[in-house]
Amino acid sequence: MLASSYKDEDGHISVSGSGAAAAAGGGSLRNKKPENTAFKQQRLPAWQPILTAGTVLPAFFIIGLIFIPIGIGLYVTSNNIKEIEIDYTGVDMSSPCFNCSQNFSWNSTKSCTCSIPFQLDQPYESNVFMYYGLSNFYQNHRRYVKSRDDSQLNGNEESLRSPSKECEPYARHDNKPIAPCGAIANSMFNDTLELFYNDPNGTKVQVPLTATEIAWWTDKHVKFRNPGGEGSDLAAAFQGTTKPVNWRRPVYELDSDPNNNGFINEDFIVWMRTAALPTFRKLYRIIQRRNNLLPTLPRGNYTLEVVYNYPVRSFEGRKRMILSTISWMGGKNPFLGIAYITVGSICFLLGIVLLIIHHKYGNRNNGADVSH
Amino acid sequence: MVKILYLLDCYPQLYCPGQLNMYFSKKAFVWCMLHSCYSSLVLFFIPWGAIQDTVRDDGRDIADYQSFASLAQTCLLVVVSAQLCLDTYYWTTVNHFFVWGSLAAYFAITFTMYSNGMFLIFTSIFPFIGTARNSLNQPNAWLTMFLTSLLCVLPVVALRFILMQIRPTINDRVRYKMQKDTLPAPPPRRPVRRVSTRRSGYAFSHSQGYGALVTSERFLFKRPIKSRLAFSVQPDGPLARNLPQVFRPIAEELHESQSSKS
Repeated sequence: MLASSYKDEDGHISVSGSGAAAAAGGGSLRNKKPENTAFKQQRLPAWQPILTAGTVLPAFFIIGLIFIPIGIGLYVTSNNIKEIEIDYTGVDMSSPCFNCSQNFSWNSTKSCTCSIPFQLDQPYESNVFMYYGLSNFYQNHRRYVKSRDDSQLNGNEESLRSPSKECEPYARHDNKPIAPCGAIANSMFNDTLELFYNDPNGTKVQVPLTATEIAWWTDKHVKFRNPGGEGSDLAAAFQGTTKPVNWRRPVYELDSDPNNNGFINEDFIVWMRTAALPTFRKLYRIIQRRNNLLPTLPRGNYTLEVVYNYPVRSFEGRKRMILSTISWMGGKNPFLGIAYITVGSICFLLGIVLLIIHHKYGNRNNGADVSH
Repeated sequence: MVKILYLLDCYPQLYCPGQLNMYFSKKAFVWCMLHSCYSSLVLFFIPWGAIQDTVRDDGRDIADYQSFASLAQTCLLVVVSAQLCLDTYYWTTVNHFFVWGSLAAYFAITFTMYSNGMFLIFTSIFPFIGTARNSLNQPNAWLTMFLTSLLCVLPVVALRFILMQIRPTINDRVRYKMQKDTLPAPPPRRPVRRVSTRRSGYAFSHSQGYGALVTSERFLFKRPIKSRLAFSVQPDGPLARNLPQVFRPIAEELHESQSSKS
């Protein structure tokens, strides 16, 4: 705000207008002069980077030389990951699951099963992860993402009896609160997938699948808690609530293991972590490695047995089962490798182009024509 | 600041970019918009490609909505900090403190917001619990951030370097000269008082500025001396003819004003 006093560059405070009078009595104002330190007089030592050829050109070449090996490493790692995808939606008439996909109704108590044979060309070593994948399923739709009650899922008794408004219209049914409420919980994936290995001598061996350690630790132990505390009877804790409309069983009957029942059921937790993209995969089961001599999944013929409960044909969605090994960079995704190689090469080429430009035009920057 | 002021004294051509509207024109705005569009596309599609159909290194989810948002946001912070570093011309300790401090503050606030404690106290406000811990410990995430920041910053660096080589502006030349030679001693300070607060600031020397508004009766207690508006554009004055202006030494003016009042 402009006042009638000012400070000139020497730090004097003076008052204009009646300047002469104030200057005479200005001895008392002199102690407002700022200190002569480097900080207050803006004389701090400073580094002044400018873009010279000596810094920019080596930087481009170094970045190019770093990125290309990283990209190659990522690409090779991604290619070494083994993965197989089996679509079992049953769109074609020739598909084993075609009948199941046609005769669907929410009220049927008899579940439809189908078997899909497939072959593994290479043995899969170490832990093998089994995922279910959905396509054209927009778990990132805003109204869908908001349709949950985190307090209820954290075991809060009050939210259990009266779910939040965000869960509407999946909050109450038959005059009882729904536990768990919301559209996300209501649309939970409920197919059952089982894997069988066809021995060369004809027997079908079931591949053992573990259903624990598939959700994030923080989700399982902090975010999702059962009401009534640890070790309580879940059926009693959920008394007075009803199951979501599209579920076949209530939430306290999801698994016989009490550590995997209720809200802390890991399949439920994995489903509630909404995916970012319309084509996604979620961890279903883990096939633990047996010992270091035998591969976890040897080469050969396998059968996938599906209990087909989840309807996707109505929105042109697709369901698939994915078996994959894992590396330090995650699943099979060549994008980062290719991106690094591309950016590295472009950087290197750009460095060469800049070198040529600097060689031809670089002398215009001499300050010879800057006069005082 | 002191250095800038006497650079302007030594090389008055440095006023030209401001008067020619080089840095605040429609062309500058269009360049800025193109750069932003490019950066936005990179900041979305590189994380999108990196997390599509992939998982963590222990097989669990990383392609969920919360992790993707967290990754894109962290990429954005890194890119913005890198761009800020490019545009900072004088790096004092204060600059260092605030730039690295702001990055550190971002990570501190993120981890606090996504911590167990915050979730348990304010459950519906902080639903992103565990996201930062579980997604930012993946080498995949850090490689994505590195790629995104370089992809956003390198075109800017390349373009600036090319323009500096082919068409150096007066700023580039002076800066280059400053780095090569030692600076001349600052001119001796004239111990005069200035009535400069009655004029508008030098920042808008390319146009009329706000001199008329500032020196009107709404802001000053004394009657303004209207004839002293040094930055009003005269149609045949030296500024209109694109020549350097000559200013009268201020001491004479103060003498005149004091003599006119008394």
